Amino acid sequence: MTSTALPIAARAPRGLRSVAWIGIALGLVGLWIALPPISVRSWVWSFVLCLIAIMLGIGVLIRGERRFGSFAIASGVLGFGVGYLATLSGLGKLETVVVWSALIASTLRFATPLIFAAIGGVFSERSGVTNIGLEGMMLIGAFFGILGADKLGTWWLGLLTAIVAGGLTALLHAVLSIQLRADQIIGGTAINFLALGLTGYLYVDIYGAQGTPNDIPGIPSVHIGFLDRFSFLDVVLGDLNLMIWVALILIPLSWIFLFKTPLGLRIRAVGEHPRAADTVGLSVYRIRYSAVVLSGMLAACGGAYLSIGFLDSFNENMTAGRGFIALAAVIFGNWRPFGAAAACVLFGFSSALAQRLPEYSGSAAVLFQALPYVLTLIAVAGVVGRSIPPAAVGRPYRKS
Amino acid sequence: MSDLDQPPAGAPQDPSGLGPGVRQSMLERYDVAAKAGGLLAPVLTALLAFAVGGLVVIITTGKNPLATYRAIFEGAGFNWLLPWVQGTERQAAAFNMQQTLIITTTLVLTGLAVAFAFRCGLFNIGGQGQYITGAIFAVWIGSSFEGLNPFIHVVFAAAAGALCGALWAGIAGILKATVGAHEVISTIMLNWIAIWIGAFLFGVGGPLQNDRQEFVPVSNDIVEGAKLPVFWGDPVFQGLHIGFFVAIAGLVIYWLILSRTTLGYGVKAVGFNPEAARYGGINVPRNYFLAMAISGAFAGVAGAIDILGWQFRLGTDTVQQATIAFVGIAVALLGRNTAIGVALAALLFGGLLTGTATRNLDPEVFQPELASNLTLLIQGLVVLFVGADVIVLWLMSRMRRKRPA
Amino acid sequence: MTEAAPTVLEMTHITKRFAGIVANDDISFDLRQGEVHALLGENGAGKSTLMNILYGLYHPDEGEIKIAGKQVQLGSPSAAIDAGVGMVHQHFMLIPVMTVAENIVLGHEPRHADLFLDIGEANERVREISDRFGLTVDPKARIQDITVGQQQRVEILKALHRNADILVLDEPTAVLTPQEAGELFGIVRGLTEQGKSIIFISHKLNEVAEIADRITVLRRGKLIDTIPAAGATEESLATLMVGREVTLRVDKSPSNPTDTLLEVRDLHVFDDRGIEKVRGISLDIRAGEIVGLAGIDGNGQTELIDAMTGLRRAASGSVKVAGKDVTTATAYGHFEAGLGHIPEDRQRRGLVLEFSIAENIALHDYRRAPDSRFGWLFPARLLERGARLIKEYDVRGGGPQTRAGGLSGGNQQKVVLAREIDRNPQALIAAQPTRGLDVGAIEFVHRRLVEERDEGRAILLVSLELEEILSLSDRILVIYEGEIVGEFPPWATEEELGVAMTGGGRGEEAA
Repeated sequence: MTSTALPIAARAPRGLRSVAWIGIALGLVGLWIALPPISVRSWVWSFVLCLIAIMLGIGVLIRGERRFGSFAIASGVLGFGVGYLATLSGLGKLETVVVWSALIASTLRFATPLIFAAIGGVFSERSGVTNIGLEGMMLIGAFFGILGADKLGTWWLGLLTAIVAGGLTALLHAVLSIQLRADQIIGGTAINFLALGLTGYLYVDIYGAQGTPNDIPGIPSVHIGFLDRFSFLDVVLGDLNLMIWVALILIPLSWIFLFKTPLGLRIRAVGEHPRAADTVGLSVYRIRYSAVVLSGMLAACGGAYLSIGFLDSFNENMTAGRGFIALAAVIFGNWRPFGAAAACVLFGFSSALAQRLPEYSGSAAVLFQALPYVLTLIAVAGVVGRSIPPAAVGRPYRKS
Repeated sequence: MSDLDQPPAGAPQDPSGLGPGVRQSMLERYDVAAKAGGLLAPVLTALLAFAVGGLVVIITTGKNPLATYRAIFEGAGFNWLLPWVQGTERQAAAFNMQQTLIITTTLVLTGLAVAFAFRCGLFNIGGQGQYITGAIFAVWIGSSFEGLNPFIHVVFAAAAGALCGALWAGIAGILKATVGAHEVISTIMLNWIAIWIGAFLFGVGGPLQNDRQEFVPVSNDIVEGAKLPVFWGDPVFQGLHIGFFVAIAGLVIYWLILSRTTLGYGVKAVGFNPEAARYGGINVPRNYFLAMAISGAFAGVAGAIDILGWQFRLGTDTVQQATIAFVGIAVALLGRNTAIGVALAALLFGGLLTGTATRNLDPEVFQPELASNLTLLIQGLVVLFVGADVIVLWLMSRMRRKRPA
Repeated sequence: MTEAAPTVLEMTHITKRFAGIVANDDISFDLRQGEVHALLGENGAGKSTLMNILYGLYHPDEGEIKIAGKQVQLGSPSAAIDAGVGMVHQHFMLIPVMTVAENIVLGHEPRHADLFLDIGEANERVREISDRFGLTVDPKARIQDITVGQQQRVEILKALHRNADILVLDEPTAVLTPQEAGELFGIVRGLTEQGKSIIFISHKLNEVAEIADRITVLRRGKLIDTIPAAGATEESLATLMVGREVTLRVDKSPSNPTDTLLEVRDLHVFDDRGIEKVRGISLDIRAGEIVGLAGIDGNGQTELIDAMTGLRRAASGSVKVAGKDVTTATAYGHFEAGLGHIPEDRQRRGLVLEFSIAENIALHDYRRAPDSRFGWLFPARLLERGARLIKEYDVRGGGPQTRAGGLSGGNQQKVVLAREIDRNPQALIAAQPTRGLDVGAIEFVHRRLVEERDEGRAILLVSLELEEILSLSDRILVIYEGEIVGEFPPWATEEELGVAMTGGGRGEEAA
């Protein structure tokens, strides 16, 4: 009946979206031409193209099409940033950085932990529980994954340990936010602190100054032999970690689960209107508990991939805000598995770029480490208000 | 039947996707809890957190947690308050106490940075980024302008730090005010952006990196004139600087703004009920921005004071390990967002951090590296028990039943 | 009804206490097959509590429930559903973003391969039941796209899909137009003919007399009487329900309107979703009159009020308060120009519940002298004014420093009233000023509004209660789909208004 949102005079016309698409395309072209194989050697071209992209994006955004407007702005920022840096560095260096096949493979590597956590976030939020503790659950997964693999001797026991630990952490969040009706943001923050303290404490206690040993059994990669013949595909897909494939399969699976099964319908119902679900005899608490625990398990998988699939070591606070990026991906992806995964791939790409750039160019490249965070900020700013969250998310349910 | 947990049909949806956030539930509960328990609830919360932390100590190391806590107590210099501690022991205690108060100064300010936004219904977990940007500007100004009048130099550097923190937090405030982006996500992202900006500025080859030491990723030292005078203890051995009074002033300003100004009235009204505030003619977005900016100014000053008071330089590693602002969250929550509460909670955590610092804790009693993580754990537990205040309130009701009043 | 119909439900000696209150005090109630048994009572009489016990949401402290002769324990809604009880809640328990079929099968979903949701089968089932009972709805439509009347049918279908034999309808006509209510009565009769038994909760005397076979009256948690509907008059029922003779008319002298103080010209307003909810409304409200705006909920009243008070920007048109154009002014600008606004939801909007009474009274004026100067607030002056108004408006339950949230609804509304009127506004917009209040508080608010009219203020009264509109207004306007479709004198009948409220009067020039 009442309104807190700023008044929007009218629904955004369709045409705006096409304009935004042009902006997105221009930004990507600006990025593309500065990189091999084209490698335009003046930054002006990228600049002009990306400036137009950003201006189109802003124009579209203020006319009400926020989602695609922000895509166009992000594309412009990304395009010009990368383009400018590319023209600064030598051609030879550039060709070492931008090997598209390697870049795509690297994007998948960076996107995978995000995808696990984001899918987990989709489940939790769809059931009506805000999960800002994804970060902590990932960190728990990362530590217990490596601990389990080290002490129990196999990677899959390590992964299992991570899943159990992540599930237990999520259970704590569930008790806080469902049973005790604590503020879910505060509860999640507590989870993040606790995870940071607990993993740091145990890490120092168990591994001390030496750090995690080098001979920990890691999650194996899947070598696809017949791809040897296609050099591009071989680099991209030929030797990916098992967890990357699991993540890719998880996306459609979770979509089917959420939208094509009775249980998925119930999860969504509980997140939209818990009392309605209660009055038809569903247990709101049980469904929310399951969804939150599941989200913790998935986030822990993402963390375990980081420690025993990707880096083969553990550092304190090694998740570095990835849980929050995953949460942003959930919002950006409109609480849908495919949307969230697509956002993760975008963030993964920026991380992959940021990772590869500093090795070959000057000190300014360090700044590119901030790229995923800047993109997340733009994404969150641009998308909210146009995407519709589950109606009851963040609200504790009180049985009458 | 309670319809409170349900949005009425057609109610506006919170666009951020993270739910109603802290404003409805926490602020109401604080109000009730503060009246119900006064000091008792936060004290119980802290005791619970320390008890659980002690359990972790026993389980993992088998050591006596009480001995550990006692060592931390002495490491923090709290024994200086005991009149029977005399002689060299007293000198050491005084030194430790000074260190504790130096950290308390920072914690008061970062705590206020969280508390002020909280009163407007915003959860500012971006104190870290605001602290870093404040410190960056302070170190830049402090290491330039050699020969400037010391008073002007210090005020200039601190004000620049405050302004910078305010602007950094203001980004999140504007995003919240205009498009409704949830401040939790945006401030976390701003933290990481600030960290990488710091890494760039002070990294090897960066614009603010040291002139003389080419391969050390650290800034120039600030000039003598920009250092804060020490009023207790030895300036050479890091005595207590006058930034301590800035923290006290911060507490007074915080209280005055909230209880004696129209700005505070507006901020609180928005925090309790943004819809009623809007109906009352209060500009809600403007208050979101102002609350974030003022919060950021507190955190920015904290960063500046640390640079001008005792760190004197900023390096990439200090930037990355600047987690002091996160402790501010626990300080504000434990202090129930009141000025006095923040002061006491800051002292508690200041003591905890000093007492577990490597040089203060006897490794035979407890391994210092472990202890600093124990601090993190206790901090998390405090936030946990504040969030799950139901547990604390239940304990309180049990205690009341035993002693009928 | 046939005398031989078996009893399907027996609730005996039900008692339910909440902290300090006895919501149901030794109530016995029974229901026969194929009958409509009305449960009549004022707000807070205990009707909802009794039905929530039947639906397994509350557990009675004493008493027992028998369904079809067997004693049952209804520990949860699913137990009640299994026992054959279905409930249509006053606030629909429907999920707006899901389809009709998804809402109906939720919890009892058809599956294929035991694993997947069979949405085709769900649609088929819905179509089948809706044909059987004559309740047409499109199974594939989303709830948010269908009318309130259709949503109610979905609720009924939801219960029927779970094989309910006993249907509880909780104030089913509150959200319906008179015409939709008529259709509902047809549906109810159809259901009883097929052997379903209906409990019909209401506080509207006329419809109870029309639809029910028997009537049970509750008052303050106690059973007053169960009587056959045949022979019951509205007057006798009213006396049973309230416990005394009720006079609903407000004493007031004829109005004597003078200058126009609130003027709206061709206003167009969109809602948050970009739908045009106000489509060219013009109003002139003069000093010394109360203009009532009648209409079914959701026909643009909220958007109209928001635009007239600066809480929402109008797409076009103009608003003037006491001759001053405030179309683009902020909410504060409207208050400055001399507008008072009693908002429709005092808890969400009218008050900051955590603030004290004194602070709430200062909500508009805290930025001005004498409350503050140069941004510096003087709490003592706030308290002083608070104390004065508490006395003047007879606010009970606390002093100026009491939290507003701790007051009862009626006293909260008095605080809002005090704040708005004490500013001495030229014009006053009162939106649902008595919603959820008890009889005493309603009388207070009504009397006060008439007094303010006599003081020479221009008052716009927006209400969903026709009775309130009829008893207070000097002129009545009817809003339908964002347009004013008719103007009526205060002696118009409910039926005349009802026709206009459903668009029936459009095109004709009503007197």
